[in-house]
Amino acid sequence: MRGKVAQVPNAIRLCRLQELLVGSARGFDPEKTGQDTMFVLRRPHSVLAYVNKCPHQDSRLEFRKDRFLSADGTRVICHGHGAHFDPDTGVCTHGACLGQSLEPIPTRIEYGWVWAAPRGLNGDR
Amino acid sequence: MNIIGPDELVFGVDDLEACKQYLIDYGLRPAATQGRGGRFEALDGTAIVIRPADDPDLPPALGPAPSLRETTYGVRDEATLEAIAAELGRDREIRRGRDGSLTCVDNMGFALKFQKTVRRPFRAPADLTNAPGSPAQRPVNVLGITPDMPAVPRSLSHVVLFVPDVALAEAFYVRLGFRVTDRFIGTGPFLRPAGTDEHHTLFLIQTPPFMKGVEHFTFHMGSGTEVLLAGTRFEAKGYQTFWGPGRHLFGSNWFWYFNSPFGCHVEYDADMDLHDDSWRARELPASADTSQLFLFTRREKWFPGGGPPQDH
Repeated sequence: MRGKVAQVPNAIRLCRLQELLVGSARGFDPEKTGQDTMFVLRRPHSVLAYVNKCPHQDSRLEFRKDRFLSADGTRVICHGHGAHFDPDTGVCTHGACLGQSLEPIPTRIEYGWVWAAPRGLNGDR
Repeated sequence: MNIIGPDELVFGVDDLEACKQYLIDYGLRPAATQGRGGRFEALDGTAIVIRPADDPDLPPALGPAPSLRETTYGVRDEATLEAIAAELGRDREIRRGRDGSLTCVDNMGFALKFQKTVRRPFRAPADLTNAPGSPAQRPVNVLGITPDMPAVPRSLSHVVLFVPDVALAEAFYVRLGFRVTDRFIGTGPFLRPAGTDEHHTLFLIQTPPFMKGVEHFTFHMGSGTEVLLAGTRFEAKGYQTFWGPGRHLFGSNWFWYFNSPFGCHVEYDADMDLHDDSWRARELPASADTSQLFLFTRREKWFPGGGPPQDH
């Protein structure tokens, strides 16, 4: 699998931008691990991505597929111990990892597609 | 003081629909609607209660929603309520509800309520084991398992709290007759109230102050098999495992922890050790080896078949 991915340097195509509603989150499993290892947030003016790992215990954030956000969509929540994160900066604003940050993943939009460059796909994690 | 254990936990939440669906999928029965929230019961009547975080009737929140707002302990009798009121009234405000219940806060600020227990007797089958060397428990022609066998929460088992001063937190519960059954050195004690034999109904974990809150709650299932079956069904509904399935050393209980929309983990547990006052607490540093006998990860079902390996 790694060989195939290596042919795409540095970035992978995740989905069409229009599939992501503004204010929503979606998990992705680009390395086919069986679990979503990253998630994408569509914000009003940007698309952001983070590694699906809470800085507190390195565990996954969602309680169910794609459920990364508070009910009102204004905060990323770790559904392990309820840590809150600012969606735009990834900084923990309340909870176990206060002041620490989610690990950002560079994204870009090209021809209506969302691309991301998770570090693991380049074999450097 | 004849305190039995937690009767119910009240959460103030922001995602009411997700929380309701979660508890139904977990296996609790919706027993009452309370405004926009509700009460979700195990077989013995113990329950999780969810309410909107802005409900003015809730005790104050310790942090942003979702969070644990009140822990209700069930006690055996009126005399226990009187003894609790007399003991705690010496150094804190105690309020009497119209139903005779008591409310106060513990040494860490967690809101508590004490009431005559809502736990009701019930009958449900045990997981009978046929083991060479011991008399058979399951008679001939009685099946151990069936694909559609029930695996539902039977009784609210315990709650685990993150506390900023574990010695001070422990001292409060010891005043109420809780005994330390075992202790993780530098982490905290497992506590058993006088009205139960169960290894613990409360476990305290020392953390920095900003982590104060609930780590997890769990209901007893009927057996290790039921933990594995309920967890498998819960995962099949899309819920995210945190830790397990496995079996703890202190308490001997089977475990399987999941993420949740309650701001804490939610566990299935089963088959906990029972103790009395003659038990001498063990003390160990907390580690992967001291916290569990074994740990597994669920995988997709498969079948080896008889032919050569299939390409996949």
